[in-house]
Amino acid sequence: MDTGLQAYLTVAGLIFAIGFAGVLLHKNTLIIYMCLELMLTASTLALVAFSRFYGTMDGALFVFFIITVAAAEVAVGLAIIVALYRRRRTVQVDELNFLKH
Amino acid sequence: MNLPMLLSLILLLPLGSAVVIALFLRKRGNLAALLSIMVGFTVMALSLYVILTSYNPARTVYPAGSPESSLPSAAMQNWLGMAGPVWAEASHHWLQFGDYVFAMGFHFNNLSALMLLVVSFVACWIQLFSAGYMADDEGKARFFGGLSIFMFSMLGIVLADNLVMLFVFWELVGFSSYMLIAHYYTTDFANMASKKAFIVNRIGDLGFLLGIVWCWDHYGTVRLSELENIIGYHPGLVAGGAATGIGLLLMCGFVGKSAQFPLQVWLTDAMAGPTPVSALIHAATMVAAGIYFLARVFFLLPPFTLHWIMWSGAAMTACAGLWALGQTDIKKTLAYSTLSHLGYMATAVGLGYPQLAMFHLAMHACFKATLFLGSGSVIHACHHEQDIYKMGGLRKKMPITAATFLLASLANCAVPFFSGAYSKDSIISAAYLKGHDEGLIYYGVYALVLFGALCTALYTCRLFAVVFLGKARSEEAEHAHESGASITIPLIVLGLLSLAAGWTVYDWKWAGGLMTGLIPSGCAQVFLGGFSALEHTLEEKGLGHGLEIINVIVVLAGLAASYAFYGRSAAAGDPLAAKSPGAFRVLERHGWFDDVYDWYVAQIQQHFCDVLAALDKLAIQFGGGQVCAGGLSGLAGALLRRATVGSIHAYVYWFLAGVCCYWFFAVR
Amino acid sequence: MSAFLFYFFSLLTVVAALFVVINRDAVNCALCMVVALAGVGAMFFLLEAPFLGVLQIIVYAGAVMVLFLFIIMLLDETARHRLRISEINLVFVCATLVAMAGAALWLAHQYPSVAQLPKVEPMPTDQNPMAYASASKAFGFGLFTRYLLPFEVAGFLLLIAMVGVIVLSKRPEQIEANPAEPPRR
Repeated sequence: MDTGLQAYLTVAGLIFAIGFAGVLLHKNTLIIYMCLELMLTASTLALVAFSRFYGTMDGALFVFFIITVAAAEVAVGLAIIVALYRRRRTVQVDELNFLKH
Repeated sequence: MNLPMLLSLILLLPLGSAVVIALFLRKRGNLAALLSIMVGFTVMALSLYVILTSYNPARTVYPAGSPESSLPSAAMQNWLGMAGPVWAEASHHWLQFGDYVFAMGFHFNNLSALMLLVVSFVACWIQLFSAGYMADDEGKARFFGGLSIFMFSMLGIVLADNLVMLFVFWELVGFSSYMLIAHYYTTDFANMASKKAFIVNRIGDLGFLLGIVWCWDHYGTVRLSELENIIGYHPGLVAGGAATGIGLLLMCGFVGKSAQFPLQVWLTDAMAGPTPVSALIHAATMVAAGIYFLARVFFLLPPFTLHWIMWSGAAMTACAGLWALGQTDIKKTLAYSTLSHLGYMATAVGLGYPQLAMFHLAMHACFKATLFLGSGSVIHACHHEQDIYKMGGLRKKMPITAATFLLASLANCAVPFFSGAYSKDSIISAAYLKGHDEGLIYYGVYALVLFGALCTALYTCRLFAVVFLGKARSEEAEHAHESGASITIPLIVLGLLSLAAGWTVYDWKWAGGLMTGLIPSGCAQVFLGGFSALEHTLEEKGLGHGLEIINVIVVLAGLAASYAFYGRSAAAGDPLAAKSPGAFRVLERHGWFDDVYDWYVAQIQQHFCDVLAALDKLAIQFGGGQVCAGGLSGLAGALLRRATVGSIHAYVYWFLAGVCCYWFFAVR
Repeated sequence: MSAFLFYFFSLLTVVAALFVVINRDAVNCALCMVVALAGVGAMFFLLEAPFLGVLQIIVYAGAVMVLFLFIIMLLDETARHRLRISEINLVFVCATLVAMAGAALWLAHQYPSVAQLPKVEPMPTDQNPMAYASASKAFGFGLFTRYLLPFEVAGFLLLIAMVGVIVLSKRPEQIEANPAEPPRR
């Protein structure tokens, strides 16, 4: 297999799928959150690959913004998890079922 | 600065004032009042500046020597003679829905110049008056903010270049009216009155909105200038069912806003608001906006619509005049007087003389504002007593109020040489001319408006005699005294205008032709042409002097009879109520319209709803619906309840399913 | 050489990602995550975007993961809760994983394999300033011309996030001192 666009997209897709499986498997909010970040990273890899193989800068610039937003998002998300922990004394999603009918 | 920019400034200044008051000055009533009044006077000065500097007598509607074939139809030429050339036109795209573009813009011609002048001039003096009248009111900032937002919306109606924008400002005016009627919101009556005004207006506005939609569908545009062009060159379009429907629906807006039959019930209740509000909104400007709107889209109104407007207007003139005799509240009497005068204007539009309607609108704004402000001054002096039979003898105690009230009263009942006489007499003459030219049935209109003139003299003289002549009937009236300068100065200015504004018709030009009488020429052009043409026609048919003499006799007879009946009585009650309680009650209930509507809502609408509810239940219970509807909703409920498991993982699967569905539809 | 590096790093990343998923301990998860993120960063280098690669390692593998580790240690949940997976759940997860991986492979092969790679200049040229270039100057040019507004917005977003985090992490006692707050359960 040549290391072309397809190869990079395959890797990105695999990481995305693995991240998604992690989201489904885990019950600890922190690990779920990490797996979400993994999915986001996979999508940035695909973007950079497209950018490289089509020879324009836009995709790579977009990844720059994604990293910026992800940093902000992680900070806020973790703060929310900490606030949640203070209130409920747990971060396990199977104990956080207050939306249940 | 060019004209569109100046107009934008005029429009946006009051909005700015309202915003500043709402954001920063809610607790500082005096500052809010100062700001609002300053903006009011700035707007007045700017309007005068615009009208005086931008008026160009050489500007014509068509270029000189344009060939006969390129001129619009005769009816349109007649209308253009009133509306005059366009001074400025500016438009700004705001929203686009498919191929419909919603623009905000100005369409400024002689007609809008006249309305702009009336609104800004009356408004600034009334704001000054309010400073005195509302001096120790707790909601002063709210009140002046309301006045500012009203000014903004009213100016928007005056300047709007398309029907949708006009409708937007039309609704804003309704909102500010609602807000100001409910100023004393701690009283039940003010709350009920504001709701009533709002709901009744909505009924009319529903028709208006449908009319705009239909207009867009039928003519393909809602821009005034394009409508003028289309109808100017294809006069045949304003005929047939669609055009009549559009005309009638657009008229609904007018009927609601100008409180004409059958939606007149809100206006008298709207007097629950502070008196300056009644003067500005419910007498001088907002209710007159309906007339202005009719004049502005006059070319869209087919004959049937005009007939309806004419007959309902004439009937309103006579009925409201009569009903005014049955009121003991000073403001309600004036409210019926306003209804009656709006009836005159509507009659003029219906007769095909929008010029005269606009003329009467301008004159009426002056003298009715004076009457309301005078009544405000009296109410203020009598510690918020509104019953005229608890006043009396105020002539000596409040000389300035009494004098200006007298001037405005005489203008109100059209005594010769007062402003009201010129416009009202010409409308009455026009009604006679219609009967003379087009058949006996139209003499009915003449009879109605002439009877209206008689009633006007009766109730005006009654009001003046009971309030200002004779002896004081209560403690408050005994100790009343003239109010401060901020109340008397607007009274004097508007009072003098209600004497002299009509002299414009003598065509006395000064300031290099920029002014005609007391009105800038640009504005006076609106009605001067129509007025002199009517005079000329009457002259030709040898009718002029005869009609004038009849008018004068009717007015003087009314005044004399009224003085004889009401002037002598010192009793603390209405002489008519004492002598003929039945007749007085008929007048007081003003045609039982309120009772009919109450009955309609309570008996018919409520029962209709009950029937619908019963049918609804029937269909569900016996139509096999219970099983079906109950089963379905129960099933859906059970499924949805299952879906709401409170587990993030379940939600993730749902999300994945959603993405798959989306993908299926998107990639397919 | 570049093919070898690609296979090495892609294998490393995928394996590290798998470890993130199957690990039961949050701290181990986070450490594997660092490896996976660094692997992606390395692939950015291979794609001749060294600026993004550095950024990925500093921001993601560095700052963000340190934050994660701090919070994991702060909350210290893992001792009490070990991952217990029911078989039915595992079946679902594996099915999803296989389906998604298959979909990813299928989708990736929809794209044409670009035979002639566009040539990458180190510096953006004047003729085509938005062309792909490896120097961070190219990023600077793009950020301050076509993407100036998003750039400003991103900066503002960071500020808002900072304020938001401060508000969220106030002590609950301080919030309860506010009488406007509704009563808590």
